[in-house]
Amino acid sequence: MKIFCVTPAFNEANNIVAVINSVKPMVDEVVVVDDCSSDNTYSLAKQQNITVLKHIVNLGQGAALKTGTEYAIKEFADIIIHFDADGQFFAKDIETVIYPLVNNKADIVFGSRFINKQDNVGMPITKKYLLMPLAKLVNKLLFNINLADPQSGFRAMTRFSAIKINWQQDQMAHCSEILYQAVKRDLRIKEVPISVIYHNFGQKFSNGIKILVDLFLAKLIK
Amino acid sequence: MLQQIIALIIIAFFLARLFWQNQKKQITAVEFIFWLFFWVASAIAIISLKWVDRVVANFGFTASGINVLLYLSVAVLFFLVFRLRLKLNRIQQDITKIVRHIALKK
Repeated sequence: MKIFCVTPAFNEANNIVAVINSVKPMVDEVVVVDDCSSDNTYSLAKQQNITVLKHIVNLGQGAALKTGTEYAIKEFADIIIHFDADGQFFAKDIETVIYPLVNNKADIVFGSRFINKQDNVGMPITKKYLLMPLAKLVNKLLFNINLADPQSGFRAMTRFSAIKINWQQDQMAHCSEILYQAVKRDLRIKEVPISVIYHNFGQKFSNGIKILVDLFLAKLIK
Repeated sequence: MLQQIIALIIIAFFLARLFWQNQKKQITAVEFIFWLFFWVASAIAIISLKWVDRVVANFGFTASGINVLLYLSVAVLFFLVFRLRLKLNRIQQDITKIVRHIALKK
């Protein structure tokens, strides 16, 4: 079974080497997609003997993940993992995330920071008690999705799911779109607990508004 | 009266520019017709302001005709900005496809 890890990276020179080295033993191939970084993320990743793809224009995390996922599909990956380059996730959790896929218990698995309370200890209070419940409410009201973690960036999917889920959101709205498409296409969804270390705040309230606007505009374009 | 003349001069300037752009083939036929209709309709509305006042009053509005024209133009502007936003999103999607194609080609 070929397992690919897709890591989108934008100006992550400080973390990229450590992230690649932590993930490398857990998977068959690591694919870093450099989203036109202005620092030396690309050259550092390239030195690690892995596949590095480069966007010549900065497009956003959603677009970088899609590029990496398309590459993995082309290279006959059986399982594709999405793993951030900022060092907030733990590579040891990859085993937990892919377990339901390997055992054919799910088509797509989302790592959740909210299943175990100790997993989100460092999460900023406003994010934990305001933004996340709001995002959860939006998912429930607009898409009828009821997952513990509404904006999980750590996910794994089978090759079949990756082909089925054709997300168009280039920026952060891809999280909601992937969730929505997984539900729409009747994929077997599973959430598993993961741990996260917080180096910075991450998504702000204004980003949340932007995500909603992006999703609304995408509906109109179709 | 003076304001109406100034407004008509401005419209005449834009109409002249429109014809010039059309002659130089800088705009498409559809764009030319749209803007021609827009500016001619604006000129007619300004010339017949008194009539617009009466129409507006008949509809039960207390504001004068020129105010209603102003509100309508703001609404049209919002619509145009929104259309522009959609168009930009489409262009962004095309750029994404090109950038991805280049990234995967290597």
